[in-house]
Amino acid sequence: MGLGLRWYHFALWAGFILVMALMPEFVSKGTLRTMIFANFLAIFAISWDVLSGRTGYISFGHPFLIGIGAYTTAILTKRFDVPVEYAIPAAIAMTMVGGTIMFLPALRIKGSYFALVSLAFMELIYQLVQVIRPDLTGGTRGMSGIVTLTRGAANGYYLSFSLMIIVALSMWLLMRTRLGTALSAIAMNEESVKGSGLSPTKLKLFAFMTSAFVAGLGGAFYVHYLGSIAPRALFDINFVFTIIVATLIGGASTIVGPMFGAFFLTFLLEYLRPFLPGAERYLIYGAIALLLYMYQPKGLYHIFMSQLDRFKKSGDDD
Amino acid sequence: MMDFLEIDKLSAFYGKAKALHEVSLTVKQGEIIAIIGANGAGKSTFLDSIMGLTKTEGDIRLEGQSLIGRSTPQIVESGVGYAPERFNLFPYMSVYDNLLVGAFTARTDIEKNIKVVENLFPRLKERRNQETHTQSGGERQMVSLGRALMSSPRLLIVDEPTIGLAPKICIEIASVLKRLRDEFNTTIVITEQNANFAMTLAERLYVLESGSIKIQGSVEELKNDPQLTEAYFGH
Repeated sequence: MGLGLRWYHFALWAGFILVMALMPEFVSKGTLRTMIFANFLAIFAISWDVLSGRTGYISFGHPFLIGIGAYTTAILTKRFDVPVEYAIPAAIAMTMVGGTIMFLPALRIKGSYFALVSLAFMELIYQLVQVIRPDLTGGTRGMSGIVTLTRGAANGYYLSFSLMIIVALSMWLLMRTRLGTALSAIAMNEESVKGSGLSPTKLKLFAFMTSAFVAGLGGAFYVHYLGSIAPRALFDINFVFTIIVATLIGGASTIVGPMFGAFFLTFLLEYLRPFLPGAERYLIYGAIALLLYMYQPKGLYHIFMSQLDRFKKSGDDD
Repeated sequence: MMDFLEIDKLSAFYGKAKALHEVSLTVKQGEIIAIIGANGAGKSTFLDSIMGLTKTEGDIRLEGQSLIGRSTPQIVESGVGYAPERFNLFPYMSVYDNLLVGAFTARTDIEKNIKVVENLFPRLKERRNQETHTQSGGERQMVSLGRALMSSPRLLIVDEPTIGLAPKICIEIASVLKRLRDEFNTTIVITEQNANFAMTLAERLYVLESGSIKIQGSVEELKNDPQLTEAYFGH
C-alpha cells in the first residue's frame, strides 16, 4: 500500500529481532538490566519522535505524559487494587487525555514558545503530584512496592523488548504512510499544508494522541518494571534531555534512529560510569552529540543509510 | 447565465485592516484569467480568500455553490487547487512526497494523478526523489503546480508562477497551463506582476491596485489601453 517496503527492510528487521531475542543467552544480567532501560528509553524517544521529530512541535515536557501513565497505573494498582490488565489500559487512556491537554496550546503557538509551555506542563504536574492528595500519589517521596510484572533480568528484558519492538515497528510503518508524510509537512510549512487541503489541526491532534499513547504505554510498563516511582527523577530536565538527545543522535523523524540512539546513549552513559561517576558524564554525551551534529545533523540513521546506499550502488556497478 | 466562478463584492481583512475592497469578478469554465498588480496590491490576499485562508465578507460561488463558511480542506474537496508561490513547498521532502501531500482529498486517484503531473513536467519524473530545497526555481515552480494538480482541481489558482524565473521557463510554464485548460478543461486564475506574460497566457485581465479592481477587460481590449501601458510597461 505504497509503504515502499523492500526485501532488505524485512531482512534488517528480522535480523535485528533475532539478535535481540538471543541476547539473554550471551550477555550478563547487568548488561541485560542496562538494555531494559534502553528499551524503555527507546519507547520514550519514539514517542517524542512521533510528535516533535515529525511535526516540529518540540516537547520539553514529555515526562508530563510519561508521568500520567506511570502514576495512573501505580495509583490504581496500589491504592485501589485494580488488576494490572485494567490499570494499564486506563493509564494509556488517561495519558491520551493528557496529550489532548498538551495539544491545546499547540493550536495557537509554535516553535520555542510551545517548547516552553510544554516544559511548564512538566513543572506543573511535578508540583501537583506533591501537593494534591499525597495520600494517593505518595507526595514528594513517591511510591514503592508497586506490583511488578516480571521476575529476573531475562524476563524483564523480553517484556520490555517485545513492547519496544511492537511500538517501533508499528510507528515505523505508520510514518511510512501518507499520514506520516503529512506530519513532516507540518514542520516545514503549516500554511502550505492547509493550502493543500489538509487540516493541520486534525493532523497535530493525531500526532499528540499517538505520541501520548506510546508515552503512556511506556510509562505504565516502566513503573511496573521498577516497582517504584519517584517524582524527582521522573519530572527531571535531565530525563527530558536524555530522551531528546537519544532521538537527535539517532536521527529525528526516522523512528528507527531514536531506537538505536536510545541504545547508544544508554550504553555510552553506562560505560562512562566507572570513569566519570558524577554528572560530568553528561558533558561527554553533550560533546559527542555536538560532534555528531557537526558531521551529520540528521544523526546516526543517515550515516548508516548513506553507507547502505553506497554499498547498493557499488553492487550495481559489478 | 451562471458563470463557473463568481466573486461578489469580496472584501478581506487582516485584523481590522481591510486588504481587499469589494472585488467582483466572474470566470467562465475553461477560461484563463490573470490578476495583475504590483507588490502589495492584494493579489495573494485575493487568492488566499478564495481558499478560505483569510477573514472575508462578500460571496464566492463555484458553479453556483457558495464557498463561504467552508474550511480550506472542504474548498479543495469542492475542486479548487492552489499553487502558492514556489517558496511555499516542503523543502526537506522529495518531489514525490511533496506531490503526495497534495493528494489527500477523497476524489483523488494518486497513481493516475502522479502520471498526469509527471507527463506535464517530465523533469519531475527524473527528479522524483530529490529534495526540493536543492532544486532550481523553475523546478520548484513545477512542484508547486504539480502539488496543486494532485487533487484533480477543476479550478486551479496560481500565485505568481513566473516570479524571478528565466523567460524560457516562463514560456514552458505558460504552455503547461494552456495544455491543462485544453486537455482537462481546467479553469485557471493566476496572479502576475509581469503584464506581458499575463497577456500571452490569459484571455482576460483584471488589474488590482490597493485592493480594488481598477481596470478590467479582454487582452484585445487592454493591449493598447494607455492606463495599463503606462503603469505596467513603463512607456
